[in-house]
Parts: sequence; structure tokens; C-alpha cells
Amino acid sequence: MTQDEFFAKLQAKFPKLEKAAAPVKDYLTVRLSSKDQIEPVAQFLKDSGFDILDMLTATDLLGPVDMKGFIRQQNFNPFLPDGATPEIESAATAGYPYRPAMDLLWSFISVENKLRVIVRLEQPREGTSVPSLVPMFKSADWQERETFDLLGIKFEGHPNLTKILTPDFTVGHPLRKDYVHVKDRFDE
Amino acid sequence: MSDKPEEKKPEPAAVPAPAPAAAPAAAPAAAAPAPKPAPPKYVPPTPVFNRANGRLIEDRFTTWPTQVFANRWSRPGFQWGAGMLVGIFLGLGLTGFAIGELSVWAARVYAILGGEPFKKFFLFGPTVVFPVKLAPLAVDAIWTAIKVLIVLHVVLINGLWSIWWERKISAHIQSRVGPTYAGSPSGWNFHGWAQTAIDGIKLLLKEDITPAAADKWVHALAPGLVVAPCIIAFAPVLFGDGMQAANLDIGTLYIFAFAGISVIGVVMAGWASGNKYSLLGGLRGAAQIVSYELPRGFSIVPVLMFAGSLDLQVISNAQAGYWHGVIPRWFIFYPVVGQLAFVIFLIASVAETNRTPFDIPEAESELVSGFHTEYSGMKWSIFFLAEYAYVLLGSFLLATFFLGGGASPINAVPFTLIPSWMWMLGKAMLMMFVFLWIRWTLPRFRVDQLMDFTWKFLLPWSFVNIAIAGLYLAFWLK
Amino acid sequence: MSNMMTAADASTMPELKTDQLFINLGPQHPSTHGVLRIGLTIEGEVIVKAVPDIGYLHRGTEKLAEVRNYHHCVVLTDRWDYVSAMPNNLVFCLAAEKLAGVKTTPRADALRVIMCEMNRIASHLLFFGTYGIDLGAYTPFLYAFREREMVLDLFEMLCGARLTYNYIRLGGVMVDASPEWLKRTGEFIEYFKPRLDEYDTLLTYNPIFMARTKGVGIVTAEEAKSWALSGPNLRGSGVNYDVRKFAPYSGYENYDFDVPVGTDGSCWDRYFCRVSEMRQSVRIIEQAIAKLPAGPFMASGFAKVPKPVPGEAYAHVEASRGDLGIYLASDGGISPFRMHVHAPSFINLAMLQEKLVGMKVSDVIALLGSIDIVLGEVDR
Repeated sequence: MTQDEFFAKLQAKFPKLEKAAAPVKDYLTVRLSSKDQIEPVAQFLKDSGFDILDMLTATDLLGPVDMKGFIRQQNFNPFLPDGATPEIESAATAGYPYRPAMDLLWSFISVENKLRVIVRLEQPREGTSVPSLVPMFKSADWQERETFDLLGIKFEGHPNLTKILTPDFTVGHPLRKDYVHVKDRFDE
Repeated sequence: MSDKPEEKKPEPAAVPAPAPAAAPAAAPAAAAPAPKPAPPKYVPPTPVFNRANGRLIEDRFTTWPTQVFANRWSRPGFQWGAGMLVGIFLGLGLTGFAIGELSVWAARVYAILGGEPFKKFFLFGPTVVFPVKLAPLAVDAIWTAIKVLIVLHVVLINGLWSIWWERKISAHIQSRVGPTYAGSPSGWNFHGWAQTAIDGIKLLLKEDITPAAADKWVHALAPGLVVAPCIIAFAPVLFGDGMQAANLDIGTLYIFAFAGISVIGVVMAGWASGNKYSLLGGLRGAAQIVSYELPRGFSIVPVLMFAGSLDLQVISNAQAGYWHGVIPRWFIFYPVVGQLAFVIFLIASVAETNRTPFDIPEAESELVSGFHTEYSGMKWSIFFLAEYAYVLLGSFLLATFFLGGGASPINAVPFTLIPSWMWMLGKAMLMMFVFLWIRWTLPRFRVDQLMDFTWKFLLPWSFVNIAIAGLYLAFWLK
Repeated sequence: MSNMMTAADASTMPELKTDQLFINLGPQHPSTHGVLRIGLTIEGEVIVKAVPDIGYLHRGTEKLAEVRNYHHCVVLTDRWDYVSAMPNNLVFCLAAEKLAGVKTTPRADALRVIMCEMNRIASHLLFFGTYGIDLGAYTPFLYAFREREMVLDLFEMLCGARLTYNYIRLGGVMVDASPEWLKRTGEFIEYFKPRLDEYDTLLTYNPIFMARTKGVGIVTAEEAKSWALSGPNLRGSGVNYDVRKFAPYSGYENYDFDVPVGTDGSCWDRYFCRVSEMRQSVRIIEQAIAKLPAGPFMASGFAKVPKPVPGEAYAHVEASRGDLGIYLASDGGISPFRMHVHAPSFINLAMLQEKLVGMKVSDVIALLGSIDIVLGEVDR
């Protein structure tokens, strides 16, 4: 089964689905229009052989990253001449559509068909909340916790949505572009 | 001290073969005998340079530790170290020889201490009486003290020796070289002969830590309670014909009774440390040691039946002689019964010592160190002293029960002349090697598998063994 | 798990007063292979609740990548799975090359394959040794490290590093392999082949080892797929999913090799998949050395500071621990706009909280060891 064949099958079931305008290269990328669709789509994918939820993540589309989110000065280089700027600084690129939104990504694999389907969903950035896939795929458990921890996206129905990677005293969600590091007792 | 390979003693320059007078000068090589091959020259490894940065890369393929010391005998320090080790062994051997060969006069010494004249010792001269007339109780006390000291030193020196031996054996099993440097700063380091002694000094100087959560007195008492029964259990152990500290009629029972007490120390150590891992280790240890006491005891019942006594000397004597003048009449050579009893006793002995296939009380990867997690310094090392003492005890018991005690395996003159304590020690050391070999080869059981093994396999088969031994006694060994 | 006893069984004996014990397994524990902490609640020797706690080694590489250029990011990748860092290098480079549309040369591809397979051998040797230690057999560890040292020496000879290589670069590799190095590698392979049989006699078919691992920690194929396990953990359960066959990269389709697949998903099957994979790696390396193409080892086309056009790319490779993937998004700047790591260890570890319940304390170690995690990759 090729990507197009499977997409036709998918679209027959969910007519509102569309291919993403900017796909992840080489992979069938489907964009959902609302968060209510993710559960039926995931169920359909699971029933049609895509029974591995391989990856679950999200991207914060709000502008370039805030340099105050880092503990130390980036790219500290003692050999730079006085007054020189570091090589890397966070800078916006002209022409890229930055917007206050969270772009979620689910990636499903079918071992039999040798196919990967990537499902995208764009949600408003503040108070993002989407249905949890833990009842269908156990692998969503820790990956949703990770996404919650690093990006602050809530998953409704997750049995134990707590921090997983960052320590308890970390304030905020580090992978949000506007994250600002609050000094804690372990900083010098 | 240079590790560079060097020629030990250069071969004398090859004497040029005398040119045969008759040979034509045109073809001297054909007629001359082949010249001696030149001694192999040391060729340094070809240097390899990193192509990216031009730096020299050390040629690791030719510098394995075994090759660094390829010509170790050329180093004077190595010879000195070997001398030290040989000296230690010789000293130990001579001490053993003195004790062993003089023990036949022990009764005489005992009598002299009690006031009997020296007369029979000396053919010439006056009759001498020990200057102080001692009370019989004092005589017994002195005599017992001497024997206790000897047995105690057997345990202590065994720790010194067997730890070094275990380290070397395990190293060579694991394709390592083990202790190599300990000995002397100037290089008297034959196979790291001084490793255990120096480790002992280190352990003495280490801080003795008692955890805040520990029950102080029980914590301090536990190592003593582990090692004391072990030393006591050595009293009736047979080191050679007639060489026992205490000649007990019930020697076997005595040894098993005291060896079983150590488990209380293990449980105390586990409970008093105030650590959950220690607690688990202590409980596991209690369950294991108590369970393995049973097959261990029952496995030697056939031996006791054949020998008809619990006295170790009698058991040893019962194995004297040879079938057809060739095969020694050791209990291990009794068909089926002997081998089965030997294997069950060996397995149970390994389990009693908490060593690797059965080391669940101190399973490092599960319980950190089990019951001795919270011990340090000398308290910690006393646990190991006890462990190695139990290994030695098991080895001597195996040699006594199954390998004929002090009897020679070969019925021929040079072997039968070797004193019994030498054979005994040799067999015990062989058994100790088996202990080490098992430890460094096998993985660890799980707790329930361990229990299954003893209750469902070892114990039933030891009962079967007793039944077969009964048949032997009824029909064969009447 | 025939001897499984649950809390419910214990509660049916009201006269027996039992108490549950909470044990902290880690973060400093000999067999958690790093700073993993598992809060175990045990009833006797049986686990009634297990709560894995990770994050002690979290360094935020995904955040750090957002202010580094693509060349710098390769250095970050070394620090995830530090036991086998070559596939980490490779997967980032594949994603960045996909994003930038650069095609690598055949020689670079072959060298990447050789290095990744060598690293798989080194990583599985580490697993073999430490798994033996976990189950109480100390000797195989030193045998495994004898050979692992040789692999690391070969790496050091080629790229100067023994642990964090940074050898695979955007567009190719750091330096070309010299004939001397290829000869040494061939010698190592010849030396290594009989060693694999030695390992089997040492550990694989040891009766105690099989008793400890066969039938322990069984993960069925459905469970494995639901947990999205990958690598030998998935294949041990009988699912034939190997990225090298599923979506070949770097010319893996040109090599002849098999994918070892287990049957029942027990610890022994996972172990045996890894040991068998070493044989397949040996086959791949032999073929790759035999038909190593000539030519440049670095593709032209990468700028000193690459600025890929806005877009997204995902690349995944069969790393030593499973399906390692990288999702890269570019906004046209010099650094990745977003980098997400699909870390196999992290995802494989998640099944621990459910699978441990009902097991014995000793089996915790057997299961944890058989998953073969590296905490650097779990926490990233």
C-alpha cells in the first residue's frame, strides 16, 4: 500500500481530513481540523494496521527562542575578540509565519505495510488541551507526560499527567519559546 | 623499574663453525653447518599516527598486561618476590610438618606438663622433672590454649592465603592477571604476593561507621557472632591422621551444630543495620542457610553409615586401603551413592558459604551488598574472614568424608610415604579451588529457584541416597 | 510467574500480619545502569507497585539545539546514548541532510555503516557483560570488555575518541579510513567471530542463566506494539521490525543480513536477539569492507553555517537500543527551530511500571537489564 492509496482510504472514512500543506519530508502527513478528530482517527489507524504510536510531540510556533531561557550564556567563547558578538544568537527569520500556536504531532507505524502516517494538529498556544491516547496506545503514557512537562500541553484523560524529566522546582515548561529560566538553589 | 622487555642473558655469540679445509672456497655456505639461529630480538611496535591530527596513537594491540610482563623473570624484584612467597609456603609447610610430626609426642608433652619425668626422652643424663608441679586443670588449660591458638591461626592464615588465591584464580579465569604490584616499592612483587596483607592493613585503618539508624550493640555484635562459631567449629576438624584439636566422638554433629549458629549473626547484621536492603539480605540468608542445612546433613548420612561413627578420625580410617590394590576405598568411589552424596554435600556447602550461585543474601546487583551493606573496616572484613573460614571448613570436610582424609590416592611407594597432613591439605586445597571455580563461572539463582532446588531436588535425592546406602550395607558391605 | 503472589492473596490470610515495604531502587544502585530510580513497594519478595522516576540526567539537549547551528548539534547527539554514539551522530546527520537536500557519497555511506555496526557490537558487548553481572555471573563481563576495548581502540585510531565520537558529520564523515585501519578492522572481525561462540558457552546456554531469564518478564507482541517498543525488545517479542529493512538508509539495502527475531518475548529472547545481532553486524562489516567504494568521504554542498529552507524532516535509524528518530523543523535560520528525539530507551523504559508488578525482586533486575537502557538517552 502506498501513501496515496492509504490516504484515499483515510479520506473515505474522514472526509474532512486533508494532506498537510507543508508535510514532514517523505512521509504521509495528515492535518486534523479539530481536536475532536484525533481519537476516531487514532482508532481507525489502529484498526487498519497502524498499531504502533511511534512518536508524540509538539512544536511551539511562537517566534524564535528567548535567550533568557538558558542558564548560561550561549556559546561562551573566550577566544572571541573584545566586543565581538557570539556566533549564535536567537534571531527571527524573515518570511516564516511565526504565530502563537502549538503544532502537535502524532506518528503511527504499520509494520505490515511498511508505512508511517504523521498526524498534525494545530491548537491555540495558551491552555492547550487535547484528548489523551493512553487508553488506545500505552506508549502515549510517558510521551504525553514528556510533552506536558516540556511544552505545557494538557492531555485530557491521562491517568497520571505529572512532570517526568524536569525537577519539581522547575518553573514553567522549558521548550516553550518564551520560557525564562528562574534561578534555583542549584544555580551558582 | 622498567617494564621494557630486555634480554635476560645474551646468548653466547655463536661460535663460527670451523671452515672445512677441503671445502672449495667457491661454495662455503653449502658445506658449512647451518649457523645457530640468532636469539629473537625485541622489535618495538610500529608507531601508528592519527591521520587527522598527526598525533601518535599508542599501539594497544601489543601492550596487553600479559605481554608487558612477558619476560618477568628477568626482573630481580620478581625473583625476590617469588622467594618471599616460596619462603612463606615453606615456613607454613615446616610449621605444619613440625606440628604434624611432633603431634605423635603430644601425649608425652601433656604428661610432662603434668609432672611425669623426662626420662624416656633422653637416653643419657639425669632424670628431669618439669620444674613446676601443675594442677591437672592448669595442664588442661595450657594444653587447650595451645591448640586453640593453632586452630585460630589456621583460620586467620587461611584468610590471608585464600583471598590472595581467589583473586589470582578469578583473575585468570576472567582473562586478567590479578594483583601484580603489591609487595614492595622496590619491586618484590611476585604475583602481588602481599596483596591481602596490605588490604588487611587498609581495612584496619578504615573508619568504622555505624549508621545512625542502626541498633548500635547488635550491629557491633553481629560480626563476632558470625565468626566465633566458625572458629569453634574447627575444633574437631581433621588436619591429618591424629591431628585434631579435639578428638570428639560426635565431631560431625559438633561441626554442623556450630556452623549453623552463624546464621543468627547474619540475621542480626541484617536487622540491626537499619537498612531495608540489609534486612532483605538477612532474611534471605536465614531462609537459605536453614534450608541447606538439611540436605547437607542428610547427604553425609551414607558416609556415617559406612564408617559407623561420627568421629572424623574413624571416618577417615574407614577409607583406608585399596580395591584390587589400585582404586582407593574412598567414599567418593562407592558407585552412585558416593558421587551423589559428594555432589549434594558440595552444593550445600557452597550454599552455606553464601557464594555465587547461591549468593542471594548478598546479591550485589539486587541488594547492594545484602546483610553487610552497612559495615565497613574490620567489621566488614570479619564477615569475609568467616566466609573464607567456612570455605576451608567445607574443603576439609569434603576431603575427610569423601576423599579418604590423609590417604594417598596412589598405592605406590613415593606417594604412600608422603605424610597424611600433606595429602589432607592438598585435597582440601583442591576442593577450595572447586569452590572458587564454581563461584567465578556460574550466575546466581533466584530466591524461589534456590528453595525449589533444595527442597525438591537435593533433599529427596539425599533420602534416596540413604536408602541405596542401606541396600549396600545389607548386601554388599556386610 | 507461576509463583506470583499478589497483595490480594496475602489479604486472604487475616491472621498473618504483613506489612508492605517501600524500597528505593536507585538512583545509586549497582544495577540500574545509571541514575534511574524505581520506587518499589514489595510484599515479601513480590512487587506490588513500581514507580520509575527518571530525569536525573536531563540536560535539555532539545532546548540547547535551538541556539546551536547544525554542525554544533552533532556534538550534542553524542551525549544521549553514550554507549553507542555513532547511530546518534548518524540520525541527526540524516535528518539534517534530508532537510537540506544534500546527498552523501557512497564511500561515506559505507563508512557510516561500518562504524554503526562496530558500535552496535560494542554496545551489545556492554549489554552482554552487564547483564551477566546483573544475574550474578561476573566473568562474562571481562570477556566482553576485552573485545569492546578492541572496538574502542579501533574507533580511537580512526577518530581519536573512545566514547563521544562526533565522527559522522553533515554530508559525510570526519576522516577517511586508512588501509591500515581497514586491515586492523578485518583482523578484529576474524578474531571476534570465534569469541561469539565462546559467549554462548559462557552465558547463553548456561542452565542457571536460562532458568533466570526464560519465561521471565514476558512481553507479548500486542503489548510490545502498544508500548511502541523497538529494537531487540520488540523483535524479542516476535515482531519483525528493523529500520534497516523497514526503511533502509545509508545503503543498508545493499548488504545481505538477517534480522534475528525471538519467539515469546521473555528476557532470554531479548538477550538472544542482541547476541545474534552481533553475528549479523559482523556479516555486514565484512561485506562493507569487501566492497568499500572509492571516492570522497565528504559530500560538497554543506555550507559552514547551513541555513536549510523552512520545512520539517524526520529520520530514523536502527540504533543499538532500537528505533532512534529525530524530528527536525527549520524556520530558515542557522539553528533548528525544533528538534525532537524519539529515544528508544525512554519509550522502552515506560513499560517498566506495568510489567514489574507481580515480579520478584530478583526478576526486576533481570527485566531491567534485558531492556538495556542508557540513562543518557532516557533523560536526554
